[in-house]
Parts: sequence; C-alpha cells; structure tokens
Amino acid sequence: MIVTRLLLAGLAAATGAGVLAGAETEPLDVEKNELKFGFIKLTDCAPIVIAKEKGFFTDEGLAVSVIAQPNWKTLLDNVISGELDGAHMLSGQPIAATIGFGTKAHIITAFTMDLNGNGITVSNAVWSAMQANDPKLDSATPPHPITAAALRPVVQDYISRGQKLQMGMVFPVSTHNYEIRYWLAAAGIHPGMYTAADIGGRTDAQVELSVTPPPMMPATLESGNIQGYCVGEPWNQQAVAKGIGVPVTTNYDIWKNNPEKVFGVTKAWSDANPKTMLAVTKALIKAGKWLDATDAEGKLVNREEAARILSRSDYVGADFDVIKNSMTGYFYFQKSDKRAMPDFNVFFKYHCTYPWYSDGIWFLTQMRRWGQIGEARPAEWYHETARKIYRPDIYLEAAKLLKEEGFIEDADIPWDTDGYKPATADFIDGIEYDGRDPLGYLAKHAIGNKE
Amino acid sequence: MTSSSESAPLISATSTEASAVPAASVRPKPTRAGFPIRLKHGLLRIIDLSALGFLEPIVRLCYGEEPRVQLRKIGQFVVIPVLAFAAFVGVWAILAPKHKTKSGEVPTPAVVYEAYQAIMTFHERENAKEDAYVTSGGARETLLADAKARLVVLAEDEAAAAEALAAARAAEAAAKAKAIAPLQQRLDALKAETDAAEQEREARLDAQAAAVSDAASRKAYLADLAAFRTWKDAERDRQRAVKDDIDAINRAVAPTTQEAITAQTAIAEERQYVGKLEELLGDKGRELKVAELKTRISELDTAYLSATGRDLYKTANSLLITQGRLDSLESSTYAKPSTLPYQIQRSVLCVFIGFLFGSLIAIPLGILCGLSKTFMAAMTPFIALFKPVSPIVWLPIALIVIGGFIPDPDSHWLMRWLADLPLIGVFKINPAFLASAVTVALCSLWATMVNTALGVASVDKDHINVARVLRLGFWQRLFKIVLPSALPLVFAGLRISLGVGWMVLIAAELLAGSEGIGKFVWDQFSNGASDSFAKMMVVVFVVGVIGLILDRIMIIFQRMVSFEGSVAAM
Repeated sequence: MIVTRLLLAGLAAATGAGVLAGAETEPLDVEKNELKFGFIKLTDCAPIVIAKEKGFFTDEGLAVSVIAQPNWKTLLDNVISGELDGAHMLSGQPIAATIGFGTKAHIITAFTMDLNGNGITVSNAVWSAMQANDPKLDSATPPHPITAAALRPVVQDYISRGQKLQMGMVFPVSTHNYEIRYWLAAAGIHPGMYTAADIGGRTDAQVELSVTPPPMMPATLESGNIQGYCVGEPWNQQAVAKGIGVPVTTNYDIWKNNPEKVFGVTKAWSDANPKTMLAVTKALIKAGKWLDATDAEGKLVNREEAARILSRSDYVGADFDVIKNSMTGYFYFQKSDKRAMPDFNVFFKYHCTYPWYSDGIWFLTQMRRWGQIGEARPAEWYHETARKIYRPDIYLEAAKLLKEEGFIEDADIPWDTDGYKPATADFIDGIEYDGRDPLGYLAKHAIGNKE
Repeated sequence: MTSSSESAPLISATSTEASAVPAASVRPKPTRAGFPIRLKHGLLRIIDLSALGFLEPIVRLCYGEEPRVQLRKIGQFVVIPVLAFAAFVGVWAILAPKHKTKSGEVPTPAVVYEAYQAIMTFHERENAKEDAYVTSGGARETLLADAKARLVVLAEDEAAAAEALAAARAAEAAAKAKAIAPLQQRLDALKAETDAAEQEREARLDAQAAAVSDAASRKAYLADLAAFRTWKDAERDRQRAVKDDIDAINRAVAPTTQEAITAQTAIAEERQYVGKLEELLGDKGRELKVAELKTRISELDTAYLSATGRDLYKTANSLLITQGRLDSLESSTYAKPSTLPYQIQRSVLCVFIGFLFGSLIAIPLGILCGLSKTFMAAMTPFIALFKPVSPIVWLPIALIVIGGFIPDPDSHWLMRWLADLPLIGVFKINPAFLASAVTVALCSLWATMVNTALGVASVDKDHINVARVLRLGFWQRLFKIVLPSALPLVFAGLRISLGVGWMVLIAAELLAGSEGIGKFVWDQFSNGASDSFAKMMVVVFVVGVIGLILDRIMIIFQRMVSFEGSVAAM
C-alpha cells in the first residue's frame, strides 16, 4: 500500500497535479467541528479560503465558516474573545499580543501563510517629483529595485515648508510598517521612533506614518491625506487600475521572500482542541500546496482558479482582473510597466509554510529597532519568545500525517531544521540577517535602536 | 377622553372597528357601488390609523363619492409623488454617468438594479448549495446529472467567452496604439525640441555668465536665469499634459472590452458555482459521506468481532471514533456565508432588541422624571451629557463591557440559551450583536425618556384634582390617570427612538463587525470591485424601505392610543 502511494505520489509530482492522486484523508477525532475563521480582504488570505472552497477542511471533518473582519484590531479582539476560533494574522500580531504590546494574550502560530505580497505606492505627484530627482526613473520601464533615495529631496522639501510627508501603513505591528520603515531608513530617511509617550511612532520622524485600513488606502491617497502607502494586494494594483498612484517597489525587492501572514489561534484554544488544531494545519498545508502547484514548465496552474474564487464578494471581492495580476505572477508598477514576478505571492515553495523561529525573531528585532519594545533585551529573550509563539512541533506533526496519507513528499517539509533559516543578505541595503544573532543584527543599522 | 373609564372603551372601539372588516364581509350590505358600506368605514379607519392617507381618495372613489374631488386628491397625493420619484430616477440616470471619479462612475439606476440582481443571485446560489449538501436519493441524482450537463455547456461557453475577450482586447489595444501614436510622436517631438532649445539657452547663459562683470550684468543674468527656469517648468508642464493624455487613453477601458469581461465573469462564476454544486451533490455531499462512513463502520464491526488483545482496543477505539463522526456528520449542514436577506433579518432583530432595552430603561425613568421635579433635576445632567454622544463612541465601550461579562462566548450560558431559542437561534447572537443592540439602546432611549417625562408632567390639572377627590392611591393614580393621558406622547417618543435606533444600528454593526446590513456595507466598501458602489446603493433603498415600514408600525401604535385633538395625533 505504502509503495503504491509513493509511486502515485511520484507520478503526481511529475505531472504537477498538486494534490496527489490516490491520497486519502484520515480524519482525526476532532474536539470541535464547527469553526469560525476570520480574515481581512487581502489576497494572502488565500490558504484559508482555498482550504474551504476546495474542500480540504471538509475532508478533515470540519465545517468552517470564513468571515471577513473590518480591521486587524477587531480581528485580533475576536480571536482573543473566542468569537473566532482562528484567523489570518499579521506576523507581528501573535508576537505583539504575546509580549503585551497592545492587547495582551498568548497567541500561537503553527502555519505561515505566505511570503512577500506587499507593495509601496506613492501618489502621482510624489512620483513625478521622484522622476525629476532621478532621471533614470523618468521612463515607461524604470530600472528596479527603486530605493527611497529619490524620495529624500521630496521629504526635505516638505520639511523645509514646515510639513512632513505622510504615508500610510495598515497596523502598528504589521509587516507593512516594518517594511516601509526599512525602505525609508535604508535611504537615510528617519521614519520615527515609538516611545512610551509616543505610541504613534512619530518621534524624530522625517516621514510620518499613520494607520489606515487596507481598503481605505487608495481613497485616502486620492484625498491627499497621505502621499504614499505600504499595503498588500489588491490595493497597489487597484491604485494603478484607477490611476491614483504608482507602486514604486514591492516587499520582494526590500527583502526577498520575507514572511508575511500567519494563521494564529490562542494558546488556550490550541491546548483545548489539539486534534482540531492538527486537522486545521493539515488542511492549510494542503491548500498551500494546491496554490503553488506548477506544471512541467514551472507555470502556476491553479492560480487563475484561485483568483476567481477570491474575487467572490464574500472573500476578497475585488475585480477578478485586479486580483489576477499578482496572483498569477505579474505586477503592474505603472500601466506601461508590467513585470513578471512569479514569486510575488509564495504560498508553499521555499518551505514557506513552516513556522520559522528566525522569522519571529526578525519581527522582534524590528519591534526593538523602532522602540515598540521599550528596553534592550538579551539575545536569549528573543529566542525564547519566538519559541513561545512559533510552534513547528504542531506543524511537523500535521506534515507527518499528510505524508503518511500521501499528500506531500519528503522534500516539501524541512524535517530536520532547528527552526532557523540560513543567514541572508537579500535585503535592499544588503545588510545580512541571521536569526541566531538578533543583537548583532540590530547593531548593523544606522537608524533606530542598536541594542 | 377625560378619565380612565373613557380611555379603555376608545382602545377597544378601535379594535372592534378594525376587526369589523371580516365580519362585514360575511354579511354584505349592497351599496351603490356594490361594496358593503361597513367595509368602507373599516377601510377608511385602517387608512387613517396607519397614516396611509393617500389611499383614502381611492377608496372613496370606489364608492363613487364626489368623483371630481377624489380624482383631484388622487392626482395630488398619488400621481404627483410617483411622478416626482420618476423624475428623480430620470435625473439620476442622466447625471450619474457624467460624474466620473478615479474610483469609477456613479452607478446609474440600471446598474443598481443589476447589482441588486447580483446580490440575489449570490443568495440563491448559496441556498442551492445548502440544499445540495443535504439532498438525498433520486432528487440528488437528478440534480447531479443536471449539474454535470450544465458544466459541459458552460465549459464551451467559457472558451467562447475567453476568445471573445481576447478579440476585444486585441481590438482595444490596436485602437489605443492608433490613438496614442500621434500623441507619442508629438511628445517625442516636444522632448527633442525642448532638449535642443534647452541646450542652446544653457550655452547662451554660460556665455553670459562668463561675460558677467558689473552689477547690472549680474542682475540681468539673474533675471535671464529665472526666465530660463520658468520656461523649463512651462515646457515640462506641456510635456506632462501630453503624457496625461496618453495615460488617460491607456487607462480607459473600451465598452466592448468591458462587456466581454462582464460576460466572461458571469460564465466563469456560474461554472464555479455549478462545479461546487456538483461536488456537494456528489462525494462531498452528506449522503455519500454518510454512506462511506457506514460502510467503514460495518467493516470495523466485522473486524471487531474477530479482534483480540491489542487489536481489540484499537478496533474498538476506531469504531467509537467513526461512530462519533457519523453522528456529527448526520446532523451537519453546509457552512453558508451570510447573504443580504439574512443580514437584513438580523439587523431588524438587533434594532428591536436594542429598542426594547432602551424602552425598558427610558419609560420608567421618564415617568419618574415627570412625576418628581427633584428626580428630573437629578437626571438632567445625564440626559444633557449623554444624549449627544455618537454611536461610534458608545460601541467600543459597549463591546468592552459586554466582552467582560462574556469571556468565552462558546460556553457562556446566555449565549447557549440564546442559540437554542426557536426563532432567534438561527441568528447566532454573539457579543458583537449585543454590543450593537446596547449601542442602539443608548442612542435611542433619550427621545422616549424626554417625551415620557413631558407626557407625565403635562397631565391635565383637572384630572389630578378628580383623582384627589376620588382619593385614589399612588398606583391607581399612575395607572388610571397619568399613564393613559401620557401614552400618546410616550408613543411619539418611541417612534422617534426607533427611527434613531435604525439609523444608529448601521454604524454600530459596521464598527462591531456584527453580521448585518452595516457589515454588508463595509464589506462592499472593502471589496472595491467595479460593482461595489452599486451594491451599496442597493442598501440605501433597503435601509430606507425598512425604516419607512418601522415608522409606519410605530404610527399605527401611536394613533391607537391617541385621541382627537391631541398633539400626538398629527
């Protein structure tokens, strides 16, 4: 039987069918079978939506309702209050909740939902000014990646007029906040520090960042309250489609294959429903694999269907054409500048669904860098905190079951890792990050806390 | 109505008159127009009670009563409003496409109607999926065969639609290229011209700079440089104008392409829906899954009979687990997303619960305020302070307070009790719902409280004196004299409260994320799809119509307790 399964597995892998033929789900004895999961209308909620629509949850004996949440704060509150069983979360949310920045609650994650997927968009006026500052940008297809260097004179201009350039991000502990800060700081623009008295993070800022819910971004940009923003899809492509602004860079250019969203539940929930947690993780891994299935030429085969499902009004709800761009591996920087970005959204490749400690530690270093963590901490604290939140043990148990059932292969899962990705210098400023040495990493940056 | 003994017959007279309608139809009395005359009075009474005055001339006309006067009235109260509304729709249809923003056009009435149909299609499809999951036997097989046949047709249609779209896109691209080519040429020419002129002027300025000697020439150089800079900006603006034209052409979507996209989307969505339906009617449906588990159980049963030792435990365990799974599967239903009709029902329930909470607080307090000037003085600061507070402020407070009482909604006794209630259980009342209801209560109770206080305080002195003469006790005085005369104003207050509550609820739901009309609006806004604005316009009419119905209901109550000539009889 096992031989047949392996054979079938090999066959299916060769044809790239995604979910392997002949595999059969062995449902667990779940404690709770009617679940409610929350999400925010962004394309990276795809694993949850796909697990529901493609029946991966039902295969595990789970009846799941997937409910859109108005904003990240409400989503987190609903998970903490028990109104939702789990949710699509910003990587920083479980960390911030567990260490007590904002609402305090012990949230864990056993599944990273995706890599990359965000962009930074500036208004048309700022883009013209950037083009004037750097003639290389004044082209239908400017060279990428675009750094914030061309933005510096614009920032100075605002300051000399006694104002500050305003930019939007989606949540204080969002990936977007850290990415736009990283991008600005890499070009020597100070994005402001969080202090005990300034929880808006604007102390010493040259560019002021403020929170705007993702769907409001294009409208807020158009109204002139902000001059740029960092947000997930489809809100950058929406700006291009409507001619409101120009996406200048994506977070793939800021940090290649950076972790983005996670699936979070409270520790109490997971402890009370361990088998359900396993079943959910299994379904999500299958969904990730389905989303990243490719044919022999490496073309993503299921993404168009996924975009069609996501464009339903009870899911992401944006027009299919807008969602399709980034989901099928393309990104419009301007109407004239459509680029192939096959890794714009990664849902399974590069072992991305594994809950890496090193990802958690990167977010912790950013929280420290910008002052959200008020005092210097020893390196050991970073490792311990990441271990409290990221739970590869649950992930590996689910993966093991899936492998026994024949849904995934050995190569899909990093079975023997210690939870730390190899050191990488794939950042826009080339500074190397090694999760094993958080304090050394902090010391390398010119702007922000160094220890 | 001067005493309690008169108020009671008035109310009962009302109800007998209303119930006289069916009674009259049993014993018809012929009239001139062939309708029993009692029916006419009954109808007129109902019309008067429900403030549907515009129907009155129609009824009178049916009885041939002063046709000329009635026709004039019909013209005034029926035809004119209808015409006004038609004119509004017409003006809307003409003006809407003229107002273009970057976020799209303002939807026309036709687009809004389409959006309404799209909302209902979604609702019907989800209902069909829900049914498909539980359908069994022959019905399931017939439906499955239908779905399969439909899928074949749809696959062909989809291919055709994709071809049509590709053709439309190609045509559009060609047309755009043709339109852009001269502009691009002009832009290139402008650029070349500007660059040449710029070089020339820069060279001249350099020469001038070299020749600068005295103060006058320095001044002249400065002026020339300023002129050069102005000229450069002007040139850039000229180029930008052409670039903007090109961008505008690039951005515009040709109507033919838009049509092809719409057609393709409709087919692709239907295919997705029928595909899901096929799954739910097939092996993802309840019947087949139950059958599968039953086979599994009978297998395990057989295995259990021959199992021994360690195997015995294992088989028994899986038998029990499978049995448990079968039990939960047999009562399982399709996890259906909320659709607008459900959300509307939930919102109406929410507003009534909030209104009930509010009234239970407001009426007793209002009575006390009316009875005692001292109590009124004590309450005044609260009324003045809290009355103007917006629902947006109350809601987070309500959420925190209620969340504190209900730490774990799944196992809380109140939530469980509410979930098991017969009619209300399906609405899955949760803390967000209760917080919305409390917000409605907090925002709407003031009108009732103030009106009740006013009603109680303004009871006729003569009535009070009569009560004194009759030596009525406090409770008797309250229930026989004070309350009956205050009722019309109390109900006037309740009517205002319900209107306020309905308005407030939408905002509360939007913030709380409580399933309902408010959440629908926020979800649509978040979607930002091309038809999202139209769907929000549908909600405008839905909310308006429901608000109207609620108001009519309150008017009926208000009139039932009012008497001729009172302020509240309006």
